[in-house]
Amino acid sequence: MYEELLEDIAQQNRLREVNTCTKLTAGVGAILLCLLSASFVAPLFIGLVLTLTLLFLARVDPATYGKVFFGPLLFAGLGVGAIVLLAGGEGTFWSWQPLPWFSLSVTQASINQGIFVFSRVFGGTSALLFIAFTTPMTDLFLVMRRARLPEEVLDLAMIIYRTIFLIMDQLVQVYQAQLMRLGYRSFRESIRSFATLAGSVFIASWEAGEDLTRAMEARCYEGKFAVLGEGRPVCLPSAAAVVSFLAVSAWVVAATSHIRLV
Amino acid sequence: MSRIILEARDIRYRYPRGLEAIRGISFHVRRGEKVALVGPNGAGKSTLLLMFNGMIKPDSGTILFDNSPISYDRASLRMLRKRVGFVLQNPDRQIISPTVYQDVAFGPVNLGYPEEKVKEAVEGALARVGLTGFGRRPPHQLSGGEKKRVAIAGVLAMDPDVLVFDEPTSGLDPSGSEDIMELLEELNQQGKTVIISTHDIELAYPWADRAILLLNGKILQEDVPDVAFGNPELVRLARLSMPTLLELYLELERRGFRLPERRPRTVLDMLNVIDRAFRNKPCYTQPGTITLFDIDSLRDADISGWCAAHPGIPIGAMGTRAKQRAADEKIPLDFTYGVIDKCILKALLGEHSLIIVTGSMVGRVHERVQAFCRENQVEIPVISHSGDA
Repeated sequence: MYEELLEDIAQQNRLREVNTCTKLTAGVGAILLCLLSASFVAPLFIGLVLTLTLLFLARVDPATYGKVFFGPLLFAGLGVGAIVLLAGGEGTFWSWQPLPWFSLSVTQASINQGIFVFSRVFGGTSALLFIAFTTPMTDLFLVMRRARLPEEVLDLAMIIYRTIFLIMDQLVQVYQAQLMRLGYRSFRESIRSFATLAGSVFIASWEAGEDLTRAMEARCYEGKFAVLGEGRPVCLPSAAAVVSFLAVSAWVVAATSHIRLV
Repeated sequence: MSRIILEARDIRYRYPRGLEAIRGISFHVRRGEKVALVGPNGAGKSTLLLMFNGMIKPDSGTILFDNSPISYDRASLRMLRKRVGFVLQNPDRQIISPTVYQDVAFGPVNLGYPEEKVKEAVEGALARVGLTGFGRRPPHQLSGGEKKRVAIAGVLAMDPDVLVFDEPTSGLDPSGSEDIMELLEELNQQGKTVIISTHDIELAYPWADRAILLLNGKILQEDVPDVAFGNPELVRLARLSMPTLLELYLELERRGFRLPERRPRTVLDMLNVIDRAFRNKPCYTQPGTITLFDIDSLRDADISGWCAAHPGIPIGAMGTRAKQRAADEKIPLDFTYGVIDKCILKALLGEHSLIIVTGSMVGRVHERVQAFCRENQVEIPVISHSGDA
């Protein structure tokens, strides 16, 4: 249940009170700079800065951060391994041809390529997690409305957000009840249990939908979903910090474009 | 007697699948009353409640709000639902929006209030249920009691005249239930008519002005709680149990003790009954005093200073804002519910006590203490604090 976990952390992080747009600018700007960079240095730099910000300013628990980061990083590691072995190119260090039509080699170009991809993943993931860990969904709704997203889409998004947690509860309860009665003992049993789980949660969500309609009706619904609360105003120190972070990162991108590891 | 605000005239209702849920019910509720609908599962309590705000239309008979029959067109229903606020049993079914602020704002926004007024209504409602500062929290992070309060705030934000609660204390821990009943009492003191349905007669018994026993879609009995719950035959029929205090009283009566006329509704009343029963006349030491701090008329009164000057004195708070104030000033509270009675109990032991109270509850303290003193020929001084320590 990472979603729930992430959302709860985001609700409580120390940067919660910073203006949402400021945080989004930092995150999205960082992702763009990672993509623009021609060298592995800039994404590493960006990732490092954002990770330190998360750990020391937002006070995200390092173990949790590590756990969430591990997934994408593992995936990237596998991908990079494949790139290093298969990309080929100049300056061969090692090669092996097990089959006539298939060869593996480690070259200068492939190592550079691999490192570059890996650092981009690192930088990009940090930026994405920076947004996820500091900005709860409830604050993003405000930005979405400012961005003139159609009302219908936004209202639906808000109802879905609220309902996810209700259905998640239901899901966990049914799952645990099945587990207690040995519902996942064997493979065949698991498939059966999973099917009934899906069925009962479907019915529960259907009922929740009907209840929702009634609740809205009872509270004078007239096509308006509530206005959002107020966002936090942009404050100078955080805005200045984001601008200087992006400026320094942009400079790093420009200055290090020719640097290669090997 | 105040005006009738809700009235049912011979209403009947049959569910689509054929079960007749309401079988000819007539009764009325007066403005400012506290009414408890009590009955077993399937008695028709919830169905009846849902008729009060037009969610269910009776098959025959009429429901009158403010002396005019409810009409079921969209616009009238909206006005009715603004004036009759309904709090569902399960707050998760009632809370719609992703944050507390948005959810409480739902009603006011749909009533077309301007933004400033919405904000005012939301903040007012949150303050009244003691959830100031919870605006940006998502509902799934709240406790059961807090969710219930959010649901109540969502209804209060529309400023209804009548509040209808379906099982207000279901799923709450005992202390949470007491808190909710205190809140209902407070809202009633502020002039709201409150109607609840419940199985929990121990909570309904001391709280309600009037109890209506329902069984199989009919009214079995309708009276003040000590009469409505005092008939063992009816209570058994309605699959309820008699409130412990009432049962004790009846047992004592059966054993031939001479008891006061009024049946006990609280532990204090019961103590008085026992006292009479065994000594035949009350015997008291010189009673202690009850000091009142009205936080509304004495905004910057030095409560903590006063408490420091009177160490060891038991302190109670009545009203959400009074409790908030005590929490703000870090004053440890000994009583948070049933406060007046507990302070009278202290006074009867010759001890002094302090009640921090909101403006709307001051009158109630005086009334209750005076009534008790009159009945038992004792003198318990209630001192309204003047501001200086």
